[in-house]
Amino acid sequence: MKVFPEDLLYSCEHIWVKVEGDLATIGVTDYGQERLGEILSVEFSEIDSYLERDETFGSLESTKAVVDLITPVSGTIVSINEIISDDVSIINNDPHDTGWLIVIAMDDLQQLDDLLDAAGYLDFVTQEEEIE
Amino acid sequence: MTDMKPAWRLIPYKQYSACENMAIDEAVLQATIKNRKSPTLRFYGWNPAAVSIGFFQDAEKEVNIEKCRASGIDIVRRLTGGKAVFHKVELTYCIAAGDDDNFFPSDIMGTYKTISDCLVEGLSRLGIKACLAENGRALAENQFKACCFSAASRHELLVEGRKICGSAQKRQKGGFLQHGSLLLDFNPEESAALMLPPRSDSELRILINSVTSIKRQTGRSIAPEKICSIMEESFCAILGMTTAEAPLSAEEIELKNKLINKYNDMNWNKDKVANIF
Repeated sequence: MKVFPEDLLYSCEHIWVKVEGDLATIGVTDYGQERLGEILSVEFSEIDSYLERDETFGSLESTKAVVDLITPVSGTIVSINEIISDDVSIINNDPHDTGWLIVIAMDDLQQLDDLLDAAGYLDFVTQEEEIE
Repeated sequence: MTDMKPAWRLIPYKQYSACENMAIDEAVLQATIKNRKSPTLRFYGWNPAAVSIGFFQDAEKEVNIEKCRASGIDIVRRLTGGKAVFHKVELTYCIAAGDDDNFFPSDIMGTYKTISDCLVEGLSRLGIKACLAENGRALAENQFKACCFSAASRHELLVEGRKICGSAQKRQKGGFLQHGSLLLDFNPEESAALMLPPRSDSELRILINSVTSIKRQTGRSIAPEKICSIMEESFCAILGMTTAEAPLSAEEIELKNKLINKYNDMNWNKDKVANIF
């Protein structure tokens, strides 16, 4: 059975969000990285870039496809996980922790209300798998 | 049952330059998502011949740029991933679809498999028995890592163990695009000479033994238009849908014309170009 950390929020694009004040740390969910397969390359928008919700903040290439990374919250990128440029495999190996991607300084915390909690995300991926 | 589903748009075979081909593919994808249109099936060729590189590849490391320029061969960066491909005597297909249509599963591999089933059916109608490369083929560290047709990924197409069609997929919010090269004929020496690093004789032999083409399998040259017609029928048969031939919309043409400038720059992926709409 899949288990998703309770302290994270989730989007239907398989992105997780960890909220600390107005900072949102963002990464690909474990389920998302499984579906992508081995991740080969990743690139992000630059620090200080402003992103609207649902905007692309980067691209990721796996052995299967190039996929846009979609931010579930709007705000400014204040940090990028530099370790990934040396070792992209951490997105596959530790997606919910050291494999985080970027940190956004959010400007609209109400957008968090639209995200799923762990139980809601589990329901979502279960339904998605049933459809497939 | 088939009349319940909206017809796909069919854009018939035509040859374009590399930049134009990539610009059209992206314009179709963006318009399909934005306007929630039914899927598009497009066939095309490349004139002049061209090398396309994957989204994340470094052209200077993967392609003999000087030789391409001297030979009048274009170089373009795809919006999809994967390795370098030499496009000359081939038929390229492109499918753009929204997430909310019912033709494809939502996952990457399910989509590959669905499209591969259609291509396998088309090849079967040409008398070619192809199968899905379910597990891919591992290559040694230095064997043509940069060249698409030297390695089969899962759900790409093999004939007697040789790759005949390579595909790549791009997924973004609201939809996906998959395009792929079906080899009508293949000249391994010509293809290898355009890639970097230079290939040794043994590497070239591996390439020769790894790839096949429709001409090789059927013993004859078949016009791309004829193959397109067979492939279209196969998509309809496998997916239970119909097609309606239609050109690019005015919106797509306008977007394509903007995107051509992007694809003219080999390093366009370094520019953080956001949504052009």
